[in-house]
Amino acid sequence: MKAKYIYKCLLISFVALLLGSCSSPEVDAKFDENATDRLSGRQKELNDLLLSSADGWKAVYYTDSTQLGGWTHLFKFLPGGKVDMASDFTGRDGEIDTKTYQSQYNIQVGSTVSLVFSTQNRIHLLSDANNYPTAGLLAKGYLGDFQFYYYGQKDGNIIFKTNRNGHMLRFVKATPKDWTDLPKNVPIIKNITGDMNSPLFRLLEINDGTATKNYDFSYNTSARFGTGYSLDPAVNTSYDLALSFNPLGAYSKLPLDVKGQKLTDFVYDTPTNSFVATGKDGVKATIKYTNAPPRLTDDYKVTLPAAGAPSTAYGYIAANLASAPTNSQLCVFLLNEINNASAAKVNRVQFTFFNNRTVDIMYSFTGGKATVYHRATITEDAVNKTIILKHSLWHNGTSVIAADPLVKNLDDKLMDPKGLYVTRESFRIQFTNTIYTFTAASSSFRITTYAFQ
Amino acid sequence: MKIFKTYKTVLIAGALLIASCAHEDQPKESQLDFSTPVKTDLDKWIGTNFLDPYNINVYYEWNQNLVDNNRYLYPPLVAKVQPAMEVVKKIWIDSYTTIGGKEFVKKIAPREFVLVGGINLNTNGTVTLGLAEAGQRVSLFQIDNLNKKSRASVTQFIHTIQHEYVHILNQTKPFDEQAWAKLTPSGYTSSWYVEAIATSRSLGFITSYARLNIYEDFAETAATILTSSKAEYDAILAGVTDATAKANIKAKEALVVKYYKEAFNIDFYALRDEAQKNTDIVINN
Repeated sequence: MKAKYIYKCLLISFVALLLGSCSSPEVDAKFDENATDRLSGRQKELNDLLLSSADGWKAVYYTDSTQLGGWTHLFKFLPGGKVDMASDFTGRDGEIDTKTYQSQYNIQVGSTVSLVFSTQNRIHLLSDANNYPTAGLLAKGYLGDFQFYYYGQKDGNIIFKTNRNGHMLRFVKATPKDWTDLPKNVPIIKNITGDMNSPLFRLLEINDGTATKNYDFSYNTSARFGTGYSLDPAVNTSYDLALSFNPLGAYSKLPLDVKGQKLTDFVYDTPTNSFVATGKDGVKATIKYTNAPPRLTDDYKVTLPAAGAPSTAYGYIAANLASAPTNSQLCVFLLNEINNASAAKVNRVQFTFFNNRTVDIMYSFTGGKATVYHRATITEDAVNKTIILKHSLWHNGTSVIAADPLVKNLDDKLMDPKGLYVTRESFRIQFTNTIYTFTAASSSFRITTYAFQ
Repeated sequence: MKIFKTYKTVLIAGALLIASCAHEDQPKESQLDFSTPVKTDLDKWIGTNFLDPYNINVYYEWNQNLVDNNRYLYPPLVAKVQPAMEVVKKIWIDSYTTIGGKEFVKKIAPREFVLVGGINLNTNGTVTLGLAEAGQRVSLFQIDNLNKKSRASVTQFIHTIQHEYVHILNQTKPFDEQAWAKLTPSGYTSSWYVEAIATSRSLGFITSYARLNIYEDFAETAATILTSSKAEYDAILAGVTDATAKANIKAKEALVVKYYKEAFNIDFYALRDEAQKNTDIVINN
């Protein structure tokens, strides 16, 4: 074949391809508009929607309900990219500021449309790397986002997906009542958080209509998340509660399943200072405080050396144990009370248990004050598993002295008429010495010590 | 005719191509939103003080493309932005401008400052104070915590900028890396953050972070001198008892001074004194 025929064939093929490529210019449009129109349309739609609610929007933001509770946020979007915002987040100082603050927001267009709270406001408190409620969340704060991808509307609510974690977040139309109710969450939150005089332990009491079982409720007030661990060694059950708050009580996003009933609303009961979720047929779950540790142990027996046995000693050393997490707020308060009274600062509070059911509690100081000892008798309460200390005398190592008024308030807690619980802890602080805590049976006092044997 | 024969294929194909476009919609105005956002007073202040004179933009509103999205950070308090940038202007820009010349910062500077309110905490417990990316962008953290009346706070803040700017200068003109690497070759460690500063100084490093690598060592040495008065720096040196360590720190100082002189014709000590003078002005006003 001559080259010109090849050339002609190629030319015909080329023309055919050109014409053919134009033969069906219509393609099935998947959308009525092009991508740019759709995105800018969605942008306008979202902004109009945000501005449409006269009293703004409410979102109970659960950043990760497998380990954290929820924080209620109210947003009032204003023209010009402004937004008024309030939340019931608990600050690092323990205070809850529900006041309304103004900041900026914008609707960003990327691969999709998103709402961004672009200048600082309350919602950013959940995204502070340096303020994290559990050790596992180091550098992750409360796992909060403040950029939310617009997913659409459902039942008048706006559905978003959070930026980093991909969780769904629902904005519900707020009412004037929502704004006036927000500060009413504060006393409820404080009730479950407690103060320095609140009992140290929490119980989750579950009644399935026939019997009541108690669970040791380990609750992290910052995380708003708690787990009830069975007190019965034979029962390997635990219940997680992820709480958010309202003026009546707490709501758990994770329902408590009791005999097929799902309990979510824990109403605060003022007379008993407890949170009660009531189901049908006698089913009930209660979160309550208790001064007695849910699990009693025989650890207290280390304070009762047998006749002829060497004495045992346990000491709080300020330099190493002042910041121990097991010192209760009341303990810290009483130690500070002594330290702030004069130049004398508590150096040690040390128990020496002798083999004749007596104890010397040594208070030593820096700042020139001499060491004092409070001697007490010890009575074992085998039923409640406590030791009860009763005053014998005060001495300075060589002679009897008058009671030392400086340490009275702290010392009174150790002389609790109902006694002291003694617990061998599983953690260590700085040194390999075993840690023991001494907890008053009728107050929220707990002090942390090293075992010296 | 011969020309027509030669190029007839091209002509036919061209005619077809052009004809095929005859019925296409013609481009209209852009569908993208090019309207200028409403400028706040702060935006205008940034424009007047950074963008217009130095072509440096300051981002204080959140933009996830400018910050590591895996970190839990947040935008700064708006009220803290101008005071922070006033510190930057006075101590960094004005000092370099006075000593290095009017055009110095205009020519060599990051083009973007990204401001972040919170602490950039790492999972090993260390804190990242600032980042310089490709010589173009400097991210500054903890803007909310800056206290203009506290020398310690201002010094830490400006140390970050001075440190990051040294990196940018190094990216423009490298320092004598070979000479530097010979001074304290065995002291560098990736776990610098567990080292006490006194230990690091006894090994010939001005700070523990300087032990990460020679580039951080250079930046830390320069930034520490720039953020200390002569007396403060002398006190640091006096605290180093190991003679070899002290000699190494002084040798590094000499390399920094030489670098500034040879690369940029800047008297490093004059720059230090100017920065100190401006720091005093910031704190006392």
